[in-house]
Amino acid sequence: MKEKIKIFLDSDLLEKYLLGTTNQQESLQVERYLAMYPEVRETYNELQDNLEVFAKLHAVKTPEGLKNKIMARIKSENSSRRKFFRYAMAASFAAVMFAGASYFLWNQNQNLQEENVLVNNKIETLKEDMRLELEDVRNQFIVLNNPLTKKYNVKGNKNAKELKAVAYINPVKKLSYINVKKLPHLSKNQSFQMWAEVNGKMINLGIIDESAGQEKLLALPYADNAVSYITIEPKGGNNTPTVENIVAKINY
Amino acid sequence: MSVLLEKHIVELLQERDEKAISLLYEHYGDTLYGVAKKVVRDEELAQDVLQESFVKIWKKSDSYDATKAKLFTWLFRITRNTAIDKLRSVNTKSDKEIQMDVSDVYNLGVDSIKPEFMDVRENLDKIEDKYQIVLEALFFQGMTQQEASDELGIPLGTIKSRLKIGLRELKKIYGPSMMLALLLNLL
Repeated sequence: MKEKIKIFLDSDLLEKYLLGTTNQQESLQVERYLAMYPEVRETYNELQDNLEVFAKLHAVKTPEGLKNKIMARIKSENSSRRKFFRYAMAASFAAVMFAGASYFLWNQNQNLQEENVLVNNKIETLKEDMRLELEDVRNQFIVLNNPLTKKYNVKGNKNAKELKAVAYINPVKKLSYINVKKLPHLSKNQSFQMWAEVNGKMINLGIIDESAGQEKLLALPYADNAVSYITIEPKGGNNTPTVENIVAKINY
Repeated sequence: MSVLLEKHIVELLQERDEKAISLLYEHYGDTLYGVAKKVVRDEELAQDVLQESFVKIWKKSDSYDATKAKLFTWLFRITRNTAIDKLRSVNTKSDKEIQMDVSDVYNLGVDSIKPEFMDVRENLDKIEDKYQIVLEALFFQGMTQQEASDELGIPLGTIKSRLKIGLRELKKIYGPSMMLALLLNLL
Protein backbone atom coordinates (compact mmCIF):
# COMPACT_ATOMS: atom_id res chain seq x y z
CA MET A 1 0.00 0.00 0.00
CA LYS A 2 2.83 2.36 0.94
CA GLU A 3 4.38 1.52 -2.39
CA LYS A 4 1.18 2.51 -4.18
CA ILE A 5 1.06 5.88 -2.42
CA LYS A 6 4.74 6.45 -3.19
CA ILE A 7 4.18 5.73 -6.87
CA PHE A 8 1.23 8.08 -6.86
CA LEU A 9 3.16 10.88 -5.16
CA ASP A 10 6.11 10.35 -7.50
CA SER A 11 3.87 10.88 -10.50
CA ASP A 12 3.01 14.50 -11.20
CA LEU A 13 -0.73 13.88 -10.93
CA LEU A 14 -1.08 15.73 -7.65
CA GLU A 15 0.84 18.74 -9.01
CA LYS A 16 -1.27 18.70 -12.15
CA TYR A 17 -4.40 18.52 -10.03
CA LEU A 18 -3.15 21.45 -7.97
CA LEU A 19 -2.88 23.57 -11.11
CA GLY A 20 -6.18 22.30 -12.47
CA THR A 21 -4.67 20.68 -15.55
CA THR A 22 -5.83 17.11 -14.93
CA ASN A 23 -8.49 15.58 -17.15
CA GLN A 24 -11.70 14.30 -15.63
CA GLN A 25 -10.46 10.76 -15.15
CA GLU A 26 -7.23 11.93 -13.53
CA SER A 27 -9.15 14.29 -11.26
CA LEU A 28 -11.33 11.44 -10.06
CA GLN A 29 -8.25 9.34 -9.36
CA VAL A 30 -6.59 12.15 -7.40
CA GLU A 31 -9.76 12.82 -5.43
CA ARG A 32 -9.98 9.12 -4.58
CA TYR A 33 -6.41 9.14 -3.25
CA LEU A 34 -7.07 12.36 -1.34
CA ALA A 35 -10.08 10.82 0.34
CA MET A 36 -8.38 7.51 1.13
CA TYR A 37 -4.84 8.39 2.22
CA PRO A 38 -4.14 11.08 4.84
CA GLU A 39 -0.54 11.38 3.67
CA VAL A 40 -1.73 12.27 0.17
CA ARG A 41 -4.13 14.82 1.63
CA GLU A 42 -1.28 16.25 3.72
CA THR A 43 1.00 16.52 0.72
CA TYR A 44 -1.77 18.20 -1.24
CA ASN A 45 -2.36 20.75 1.52
CA GLU A 46 1.38 21.43 1.67
CA LEU A 47 1.45 21.92 -2.07
CA GLN A 48 -1.43 24.36 -1.83
CA ASP A 49 0.35 26.34 0.88
CA ASN A 50 3.57 26.34 -1.13
CA LEU A 51 1.76 27.48 -4.23
CA GLU A 52 0.26 30.37 -2.32
CA VAL A 53 3.60 31.38 -0.85
CA PHE A 54 5.35 30.99 -4.18
CA ALA A 55 2.72 33.04 -5.96
CA LYS A 56 2.85 35.74 -3.31
CA LEU A 57 6.58 35.99 -3.83
CA HIS A 58 5.73 37.20 -7.32
CA ALA A 59 3.00 39.60 -6.33
CA VAL A 60 2.99 42.84 -8.28
CA LYS A 61 1.13 45.96 -7.20
CA THR A 62 -1.97 46.31 -9.34
CA PRO A 63 -2.27 49.57 -11.27
CA GLU A 64 -4.52 52.36 -9.98
CA GLY A 65 -8.08 52.21 -11.20
CA LEU A 66 -8.03 48.53 -12.15
CA LYS A 67 -10.14 47.64 -9.15
CA ASN A 68 -12.80 50.16 -10.13
CA LYS A 69 -12.83 48.78 -13.68
CA ILE A 70 -13.28 45.26 -12.37
CA MET A 71 -16.01 46.25 -9.95
CA ALA A 72 -17.82 48.05 -12.79
CA ARG A 73 -17.56 44.90 -14.95
CA ILE A 74 -19.00 42.82 -12.11
CA LYS A 75 -21.84 45.31 -11.70
CA SER A 76 -22.70 45.25 -15.40
CA GLU A 77 -22.39 41.47 -15.35
CA ASN A 78 -24.94 41.45 -12.55
CA SER A 79 -27.31 43.84 -14.24
CA SER A 80 -27.14 41.89 -17.48
CA ARG A 81 -27.85 38.78 -15.48
CA ARG A 82 -30.76 40.54 -13.82
CA LYS A 83 -31.83 41.74 -17.24
CA PHE A 84 -31.68 38.16 -18.45
CA PHE A 85 -33.82 37.09 -15.52
CA ARG A 86 -36.22 39.90 -16.24
CA TYR A 87 -36.47 38.74 -19.86
CA ALA A 88 -36.83 35.18 -18.70
CA MET A 89 -39.60 36.24 -16.33
CA ALA A 90 -41.32 38.20 -19.08
CA ALA A 91 -40.96 35.27 -21.45
CA SER A 92 -42.41 32.81 -18.96
CA PHE A 93 -45.22 35.21 -18.20
CA ALA A 94 -45.95 35.55 -21.91
CA ALA A 95 -45.84 31.78 -22.28
CA VAL A 96 -48.29 31.32 -19.43
CA MET A 97 -50.58 34.00 -20.90
CA PHE A 98 -50.36 32.37 -24.31
CA ALA A 99 -51.17 28.96 -22.83
CA GLY A 100 -54.09 30.49 -20.94
CA ALA A 101 -55.40 32.27 -24.01
CA SER A 102 -54.98 29.11 -26.09
CA TYR A 103 -56.92 27.10 -23.54
CA PHE A 104 -59.62 29.76 -23.40
CA LEU A 105 -59.94 29.85 -27.18
CA TRP A 106 -59.87 26.09 -27.46
CA ASN A 107 -62.58 25.87 -24.85
CA GLN A 108 -64.63 28.48 -26.66
CA ASN A 109 -64.15 26.61 -29.91
CA GLN A 110 -65.32 23.40 -28.25
CA ASN A 111 -68.42 25.19 -26.93
CA LEU A 112 -69.15 26.70 -30.32
CA GLN A 113 -68.81 23.32 -31.98
CA GLU A 114 -71.26 21.80 -29.52
CA GLU A 115 -73.62 24.69 -30.09
CA ASN A 116 -73.24 24.24 -33.83
CA VAL A 117 -74.26 20.58 -33.56
CA LEU A 118 -77.26 21.61 -31.45
CA VAL A 119 -78.32 24.28 -33.93
CA ASN A 120 -77.92 21.86 -36.84
CA ASN A 121 -80.07 19.32 -35.05
CA LYS A 122 -82.69 21.98 -34.39
CA ILE A 123 -82.68 22.94 -38.05
CA GLU A 124 -83.11 19.30 -39.04
CA THR A 125 -86.02 18.92 -36.64
CA LEU A 126 -87.57 22.13 -37.93
CA LYS A 127 -87.17 20.94 -41.50
CA GLU A 128 -88.82 17.67 -40.62
CA ASP A 129 -91.62 19.50 -38.82
CA MET A 130 -92.09 21.79 -41.79
CA ARG A 131 -92.16 18.83 -44.14
CA LEU A 132 -94.80 17.11 -42.04
CA GLU A 133 -96.80 20.28 -41.71
CA LEU A 134 -96.59 20.92 -45.43
CA GLU A 135 -97.66 17.37 -46.20
CA ASP A 136 -100.55 17.82 -43.81
CA VAL A 137 -101.59 21.06 -45.48
CA ARG A 138 -101.26 19.44 -48.90
CA ASN A 139 -103.40 16.53 -47.79
CA GLN A 140 -105.96 18.98 -46.38
CA PHE A 141 -105.95 20.75 -49.70
CA ILE A 142 -106.40 17.48 -51.57
CA VAL A 143 -109.24 16.43 -49.34
CA LEU A 144 -111.05 19.74 -49.43
CA ASN A 145 -110.71 20.18 -53.18
CA ASN A 146 -111.51 16.66 -54.20
CA PRO A 147 -115.04 16.26 -55.60
CA LEU A 148 -115.19 12.80 -54.15
CA THR A 149 -114.73 14.15 -50.64
CA LYS A 150 -117.80 13.82 -48.51
CA LYS A 151 -118.65 16.41 -45.93
CA TYR A 152 -120.29 15.39 -42.70
CA ASN A 153 -121.78 17.82 -40.24
CA VAL A 154 -121.21 16.58 -36.73
CA LYS A 155 -123.40 17.69 -33.86
CA GLY A 156 -123.02 17.02 -30.21
CA ASN A 157 -125.49 14.78 -28.35
CA LYS A 158 -127.42 15.83 -25.30
CA ASN A 159 -124.29 16.06 -23.25
CA ALA A 160 -122.87 18.76 -25.48
CA LYS A 161 -125.51 20.33 -27.59
CA GLU A 162 -123.37 23.26 -28.57
CA LEU A 163 -120.69 21.10 -30.18
CA LYS A 164 -120.40 21.56 -33.90
CA ALA A 165 -117.84 20.01 -36.19
CA VAL A 166 -117.34 19.24 -39.86
CA ALA A 167 -115.62 16.06 -41.03
CA TYR A 168 -114.20 15.60 -44.50
CA ILE A 169 -113.72 12.05 -45.70
CA ASN A 170 -112.23 10.98 -49.02
CA PRO A 171 -112.47 7.23 -49.55
CA VAL A 172 -110.42 7.34 -52.75
CA LYS A 173 -107.41 9.10 -51.30
CA LYS A 174 -108.08 7.44 -47.96
CA LEU A 175 -107.82 10.72 -46.13
CA SER A 176 -110.09 12.15 -43.45
CA TYR A 177 -110.09 15.42 -41.50
CA ILE A 178 -112.27 16.97 -38.88
CA ASN A 179 -112.77 20.63 -38.17
CA VAL A 180 -114.18 21.25 -34.73
CA LYS A 181 -116.07 24.53 -35.08
CA LYS A 182 -117.53 25.00 -31.68
CA LEU A 183 -117.10 23.35 -28.32
CA PRO A 184 -119.22 23.79 -25.22
CA HIS A 185 -117.44 25.19 -22.18
CA LEU A 186 -116.04 22.64 -19.83
CA SER A 187 -114.93 22.92 -16.23
CA LYS A 188 -111.23 23.53 -15.68
CA ASN A 189 -110.35 19.93 -14.92
CA GLN A 190 -111.98 18.49 -18.03
CA SER A 191 -111.07 18.39 -21.71
CA PHE A 192 -112.39 17.00 -24.99
CA GLN A 193 -110.51 14.07 -26.43
CA MET A 194 -110.80 12.48 -29.86
CA TRP A 195 -110.76 8.80 -30.59
CA ALA A 196 -111.10 6.62 -33.65
CA GLU A 197 -112.11 2.99 -33.80
CA VAL A 198 -110.21 1.52 -36.70
CA ASN A 199 -110.57 -2.20 -37.49
CA GLY A 200 -111.85 -2.82 -33.99
CA LYS A 201 -108.98 -0.98 -32.33
CA MET A 202 -109.48 2.22 -30.33
CA ILE A 203 -106.85 4.84 -31.20
CA ASN A 204 -106.25 7.90 -29.09
CA LEU A 205 -106.16 10.95 -31.45
CA GLY A 206 -105.39 13.43 -28.71
CA ILE A 207 -106.93 16.31 -26.88
CA ILE A 208 -108.81 18.94 -28.85
CA ASP A 209 -107.26 22.27 -28.15
CA GLU A 210 -110.02 24.81 -27.72
CA SER A 211 -107.71 27.71 -28.33
CA ALA A 212 -106.39 26.27 -31.59
CA GLY A 213 -108.99 28.17 -33.57
CA GLN A 214 -111.86 27.16 -35.72
CA GLU A 215 -110.00 26.73 -38.96
CA LYS A 216 -107.74 23.99 -37.70
CA LEU A 217 -108.21 20.66 -39.44
CA LEU A 218 -107.35 17.54 -37.47
CA ALA A 219 -106.27 14.49 -39.43
CA LEU A 220 -108.17 11.31 -38.73
CA PRO A 221 -106.82 7.83 -39.43
CA TYR A 222 -108.66 6.45 -42.42
CA ALA A 223 -110.28 3.04 -42.54
CA ASP A 224 -113.43 1.64 -44.11
CA ASN A 225 -116.30 1.83 -41.69
CA ALA A 226 -114.25 3.63 -39.06
CA VAL A 227 -115.95 5.46 -36.22
CA SER A 228 -114.65 8.54 -34.44
CA TYR A 229 -115.71 9.71 -31.04
CA ILE A 230 -115.38 12.86 -29.05
CA THR A 231 -115.51 12.30 -25.32
CA ILE A 232 -115.19 14.44 -22.23
CA GLU A 233 -112.23 13.24 -20.22
CA PRO A 234 -110.34 14.48 -17.16
CA LYS A 235 -107.87 17.26 -17.92
CA GLY A 236 -104.76 15.95 -19.65
CA GLY A 237 -106.56 13.15 -21.44
CA ASN A 238 -107.30 9.51 -20.76
CA ASN A 239 -105.87 6.21 -21.99
CA THR A 240 -109.25 4.74 -22.88
CA PRO A 241 -112.40 6.59 -23.75
CA THR A 242 -115.13 6.93 -21.13
CA VAL A 243 -118.14 5.55 -22.98
CA GLU A 244 -120.81 7.41 -20.93
CA ASN A 245 -119.10 10.71 -21.72
CA ILE A 246 -119.30 10.40 -25.50
CA VAL A 247 -120.50 13.71 -26.86
CA ALA A 248 -120.25 13.06 -30.60
CA LYS A 249 -119.90 10.10 -32.90
CA ILE A 250 -118.80 10.29 -36.50
CA ASN A 251 -119.24 7.34 -38.85
CA TYR A 252 -117.31 7.41 -42.08
CA MET B 1 -5.17 35.10 4.82
CA SER B 2 -6.95 34.21 8.01
CA VAL B 3 -9.21 31.21 7.88
CA LEU B 4 -12.03 33.37 9.21
CA LEU B 5 -11.68 35.98 6.48
CA GLU B 6 -11.46 33.27 3.83
CA LYS B 7 -14.67 31.73 5.16
CA HIS B 8 -16.33 35.11 5.16
CA ILE B 9 -15.35 35.73 1.53
CA VAL B 10 -16.59 32.29 0.48
CA GLU B 11 -19.90 32.99 2.20
CA LEU B 12 -20.22 36.32 0.43
CA LEU B 13 -19.42 34.63 -2.89
CA GLN B 14 -22.11 32.05 -2.32
CA GLU B 15 -24.58 34.78 -1.39
CA ARG B 16 -23.54 36.52 -4.63
CA ASP B 17 -22.54 39.63 -2.77
CA GLU B 18 -20.28 41.93 -4.83
CA LYS B 19 -18.35 42.75 -1.69
CA ALA B 20 -16.70 39.33 -2.07
CA ILE B 21 -14.95 40.51 -5.25
CA SER B 22 -13.84 43.70 -3.55
CA LEU B 23 -12.36 41.74 -0.64
CA LEU B 24 -10.75 39.20 -2.97
CA TYR B 25 -9.17 42.02 -4.94
CA GLU B 26 -7.83 43.65 -1.81
CA HIS B 27 -6.33 40.43 -0.48
CA TYR B 28 -5.32 38.57 -3.61
CA GLY B 29 -5.30 41.20 -6.35
CA ASP B 30 -1.53 41.83 -6.28
CA THR B 31 -0.69 38.14 -6.13
CA LEU B 32 -3.03 37.20 -8.98
CA TYR B 33 -1.81 40.17 -11.02
CA GLY B 34 1.72 38.87 -10.47
CA VAL B 35 0.65 35.43 -11.66
CA ALA B 36 -1.00 36.89 -14.76
CA LYS B 37 2.04 39.03 -15.49
CA LYS B 38 4.40 36.09 -15.06
CA VAL B 39 2.44 34.15 -17.67
CA VAL B 40 1.66 36.82 -20.29
CA ARG B 41 4.67 39.11 -19.59
CA ASP B 42 2.81 42.18 -20.68
CA GLU B 43 1.27 44.72 -18.34
CA GLU B 44 -1.76 45.53 -20.44
CA LEU B 45 -2.49 41.90 -21.21
CA ALA B 46 -2.04 41.07 -17.54
CA GLN B 47 -4.63 43.71 -16.62
CA ASP B 48 -7.07 42.21 -19.14
CA VAL B 49 -6.36 38.77 -17.71
CA LEU B 50 -7.02 39.98 -14.17
CA GLN B 51 -10.31 41.58 -15.21
CA GLU B 52 -11.46 38.48 -17.06
CA SER B 53 -10.35 36.29 -14.17
CA PHE B 54 -12.39 38.24 -11.65
CA VAL B 55 -15.43 38.09 -13.91
CA LYS B 56 -14.94 34.32 -14.15
CA ILE B 57 -14.47 34.08 -10.40
CA TRP B 58 -17.73 35.96 -9.97
CA LYS B 59 -19.60 33.85 -12.51
CA LYS B 60 -18.25 30.55 -11.21
CA SER B 61 -18.57 31.47 -7.54
CA ASP B 62 -21.20 28.84 -6.88
CA SER B 63 -18.92 26.13 -8.29
CA TYR B 64 -16.22 26.69 -5.68
CA ASP B 65 -15.91 23.61 -3.46
CA ALA B 66 -13.90 24.22 -0.28
CA THR B 67 -13.40 20.48 0.22
CA LYS B 68 -11.54 20.20 -3.08
CA ALA B 69 -9.26 23.20 -2.96
CA LYS B 70 -8.31 26.14 -0.79
CA LEU B 71 -9.70 29.44 -1.93
CA PHE B 72 -6.32 30.66 -3.21
CA THR B 73 -5.72 27.45 -5.18
CA TRP B 74 -9.06 27.96 -6.90
CA LEU B 75 -8.32 31.64 -7.65
CA PHE B 76 -4.87 30.71 -8.90
CA ARG B 77 -6.22 28.05 -11.27
CA ILE B 78 -8.73 30.45 -12.80
CA THR B 79 -6.19 33.24 -13.21
CA ARG B 80 -3.47 30.99 -14.57
CA ASN B 81 -5.78 29.29 -17.06
CA THR B 82 -7.21 32.64 -18.18
CA ALA B 83 -3.68 33.94 -18.67
CA ILE B 84 -2.58 30.87 -20.64
CA ASP B 85 -5.71 31.09 -22.83
CA LYS B 86 -5.03 34.79 -23.39
CA LEU B 87 -1.47 34.11 -24.37
CA ARG B 88 -2.58 31.44 -26.84
CA SER B 89 -5.25 33.68 -28.35
CA VAL B 90 -2.95 36.67 -28.88
CA ASN B 91 -0.08 34.66 -30.25
CA THR B 92 -1.08 31.24 -31.41
CA LYS B 93 1.76 31.14 -33.91
CA SER B 94 4.74 31.46 -31.61
CA ASP B 95 3.54 29.64 -28.55
CA LYS B 96 6.92 28.10 -28.01
CA GLU B 97 8.76 31.33 -28.50
CA ILE B 98 6.74 33.00 -25.78
CA GLN B 99 7.18 30.20 -23.35
CA MET B 100 10.88 29.87 -23.92
CA ASP B 101 11.97 33.48 -23.78
CA VAL B 102 14.16 32.49 -20.86
CA SER B 103 15.99 35.73 -20.30
CA ASP B 104 12.72 37.52 -19.70
CA VAL B 105 10.73 34.84 -17.97
CA TYR B 106 13.13 33.31 -15.58
CA ASN B 107 14.77 36.41 -14.26
CA LEU B 108 12.86 38.76 -12.09
CA GLY B 109 11.87 41.74 -14.17
CA VAL B 110 13.32 45.03 -12.90
CA ASP B 111 9.90 46.64 -13.02
CA SER B 112 8.50 44.14 -10.59
CA ILE B 113 11.01 44.87 -7.88
CA LYS B 114 9.42 47.38 -5.61
CA PRO B 115 10.56 48.36 -2.14
CA GLU B 116 7.64 46.62 -0.43
CA PHE B 117 8.64 43.32 -2.00
CA MET B 118 12.34 43.57 -1.29
CA ASP B 119 12.32 41.33 1.76
CA VAL B 120 10.41 38.75 -0.14
CA ARG B 121 12.78 38.95 -3.04
CA GLU B 122 15.70 38.42 -0.75
CA ASN B 123 14.05 35.39 0.68
CA LEU B 124 13.20 34.11 -2.74
CA ASP B 125 16.86 34.42 -3.64
CA LYS B 126 17.62 31.93 -0.94
CA ILE B 127 16.07 29.28 -3.15
CA GLU B 128 18.60 28.21 -5.68
CA ASP B 129 17.92 29.27 -9.24
CA LYS B 130 17.70 25.72 -10.50
CA TYR B 131 14.74 25.08 -8.23
CA GLN B 132 13.14 28.42 -8.99
CA ILE B 133 13.30 27.79 -12.71
CA VAL B 134 11.49 24.49 -12.32
CA LEU B 135 8.89 25.96 -9.97
CA GLU B 136 8.17 28.84 -12.30
CA ALA B 137 8.01 26.67 -15.39
CA LEU B 138 5.48 24.42 -13.75
CA PHE B 139 3.45 26.94 -11.80
CA PHE B 140 3.38 29.86 -14.18
CA GLN B 141 4.30 28.77 -17.65
CA GLY B 142 1.63 26.18 -18.13
CA MET B 143 4.15 23.42 -18.72
CA THR B 144 3.72 19.85 -17.72
CA GLN B 145 6.69 18.21 -16.10
CA GLN B 146 7.43 16.47 -19.39
CA GLU B 147 7.27 19.78 -21.29
CA ALA B 148 9.49 21.46 -18.70
CA SER B 149 11.95 18.58 -19.09
CA ASP B 150 11.96 18.99 -22.88
CA GLU B 151 12.09 22.76 -22.91
CA LEU B 152 14.67 23.20 -20.18
CA GLY B 153 16.71 20.23 -21.35
CA ILE B 154 16.57 18.68 -17.91
CA PRO B 155 15.72 14.97 -17.47
CA LEU B 156 12.21 14.31 -16.22
CA GLY B 157 13.48 12.66 -13.04
CA THR B 158 15.52 15.75 -12.22
CA ILE B 159 12.51 17.99 -12.82
CA LYS B 160 10.52 15.90 -10.37
CA SER B 161 13.19 15.95 -7.70
CA ARG B 162 13.91 19.66 -8.17
CA LEU B 163 10.24 20.44 -7.84
CA LYS B 164 10.05 18.52 -4.60
CA ILE B 165 13.26 20.03 -3.20
CA GLY B 166 12.22 23.49 -4.35
CA LEU B 167 8.94 23.18 -2.55
CA ARG B 168 10.67 21.86 0.54
CA GLU B 169 13.09 24.80 0.48
CA LEU B 170 10.18 27.14 0.21
CA LYS B 171 8.61 25.56 3.24
CA LYS B 172 11.86 25.87 5.17
CA ILE B 173 12.06 29.57 4.47
CA TYR B 174 8.44 30.20 5.28
CA GLY B 175 7.47 28.46 8.45
CA PRO B 176 4.09 29.36 9.88
CA SER B 177 5.42 32.52 11.57
CA MET B 178 7.22 33.59 8.42
CA MET B 179 4.06 33.06 6.46
CA LEU B 180 2.30 35.60 8.63
CA ALA B 181 5.10 38.10 8.24
CA LEU B 182 5.04 37.51 4.51
CA LEU B 183 1.31 38.05 4.28
CA LEU B 184 1.46 41.21 6.35
CA ASN B 185 4.22 42.40 4.12
CA LEU B 186 2.18 41.75 1.01
CA LEU B 187 -1.21 43.03 2.08
